[in-house]
Amino acid sequence: MVEQEELVEADSPEAIIIAIENKSRKIDTLLKQSKPVEALKTALEGSPPKIKDERCKSASWIVVHRAMMGIKDVDGLFSSLEPEYYDILMKYLYRGLATGDRPTCDQFLRIHEKLTEKAGLGCILRYLADTVNII
Amino acid sequence: MAAVSVHQFAQCITCHAWSPDHTMVALCPNNNEVHIYRYSLDKWEKIHVLQKHDQIVSGIDWSSMSNRIVTVSHDRNSYVWNQEASEWVPTLVILRLNRAALCVQWSPKENKFAVGSGAKTVCICYYEQENNWWVSKLIRKKHNSSVTGVAWHPNNILLATTSTDGKCRVFSTFIKGVDPRGSGTSVSSDSKFGEQIVQLDLSFSWAFGVKWSPSGNTLAYVGHNSMIYFVDDVGPSPLAQNVAIRDLPLRDVLFVSERVVIGVGFDCNPMVFAADETGIWSFVRFLDERKISSSTSKYGSQFSEAFGKLYGQTKQGFWNDAIEPSRPRGGVHENCINCILPLKKAGDAIVKRFSTSGLDGKVVIWDLENQTDISSYL
Repeated sequence: MVEQEELVEADSPEAIIIAIENKSRKIDTLLKQSKPVEALKTALEGSPPKIKDERCKSASWIVVHRAMMGIKDVDGLFSSLEPEYYDILMKYLYRGLATGDRPTCDQFLRIHEKLTEKAGLGCILRYLADTVNII
Repeated sequence: MAAVSVHQFAQCITCHAWSPDHTMVALCPNNNEVHIYRYSLDKWEKIHVLQKHDQIVSGIDWSSMSNRIVTVSHDRNSYVWNQEASEWVPTLVILRLNRAALCVQWSPKENKFAVGSGAKTVCICYYEQENNWWVSKLIRKKHNSSVTGVAWHPNNILLATTSTDGKCRVFSTFIKGVDPRGSGTSVSSDSKFGEQIVQLDLSFSWAFGVKWSPSGNTLAYVGHNSMIYFVDDVGPSPLAQNVAIRDLPLRDVLFVSERVVIGVGFDCNPMVFAADETGIWSFVRFLDERKISSSTSKYGSQFSEAFGKLYGQTKQGFWNDAIEPSRPRGGVHENCINCILPLKKAGDAIVKRFSTSGLDGKVVIWDLENQTDISSYL
């Protein structure tokens, strides 16, 4: 019973915001410890694609953006990032490129190039085709 | 080479079908005609042109037992062609559609055929002896968009469809007076005509190319988001696997055995998928090159989140193989492949040869005989 109640609460926008705030602190710690890849994984993990609430999406995006801007060694990133993160990473890459912000685009294009090499065009197609789970 | 025969028939081929003995091929050269070619004296010879449709012929199927050809077209009509003497005689089938017909397939017993259409409907057509007439019965409900593919279960009752609403559905097509009572499985025998058995909600984009495995236990279809889906235990609690593809999306699939599937599509090169001993499907390799990946990809085949975590640990895989940014054209097919058909002799359990056709106007015959790495999966 207790578990069920927690589940219901975890779905509310407020609870998600709190979870994202917690995640944000964890990422700050990891970035300070010079573990940018770990930080990015933490940011991408459980990032909620099915959440309809725009505030949650923005909050999640801000966290992922910070983690992605923290990546210095793009080749190093892909030697330790597991393929299961590729699809969600591609979605955030396009969200970043859509902002048109110069430093963001510079960084994201570098990652995009490597990710496309790694994950192929199929990964881009999965981003383009998915009109339901928008991050 | 896996491709044993390549022939350029036209600028572009929308679909093709083989005669029962595989000596003749019927194809639509991207217009309102169906051309029938016969292979004799080392060359293909055009022997018939079937002219009756007004618009592009979108589907052809040649029945193997009764030697009848059914064609459907964007003109919303269907014809069943019977060979009388040396001529093919058409019979109009009134489908009662207000949009294009897109695909057609004879049922295994060849007493019915199914037509998918852009009118969000499926027509099940059967012959009425008294009226000497093919009757069309419509499944109007459920589809929210065009029906892109139809596939008959071996039991002659169940029909799987794919649609541009992203769903794959299975229907009962039991017709009183045509199908004997209790002819289907336990699932279908008590289902009325048009009743939906299951709806598979795996894809978020257009779905294409649905096929049943030879036994009818597994269903495979593809999504336009570069995914291929394998479904076991089709029924109330289906067991689905999604396999993400590294490259461009697929258009059609073919089961060569219970555990090996060939997918064709926008990459112009057939892809081989296989299931291992535990039933987990994965990409094996492209058929049109001798490159053999060191280990199969474990990415994407997602039974559940628990499995996903296991796959995450697999460092090896084709993701880490040498990367070819864009594979140069120069394979056998030079454009999207949109049709794949088995070339199976009666009694063979496994499809060793199959043919593909596509937008480059070629029909290519492939042989798996000397593909030792694939044979091990069969």
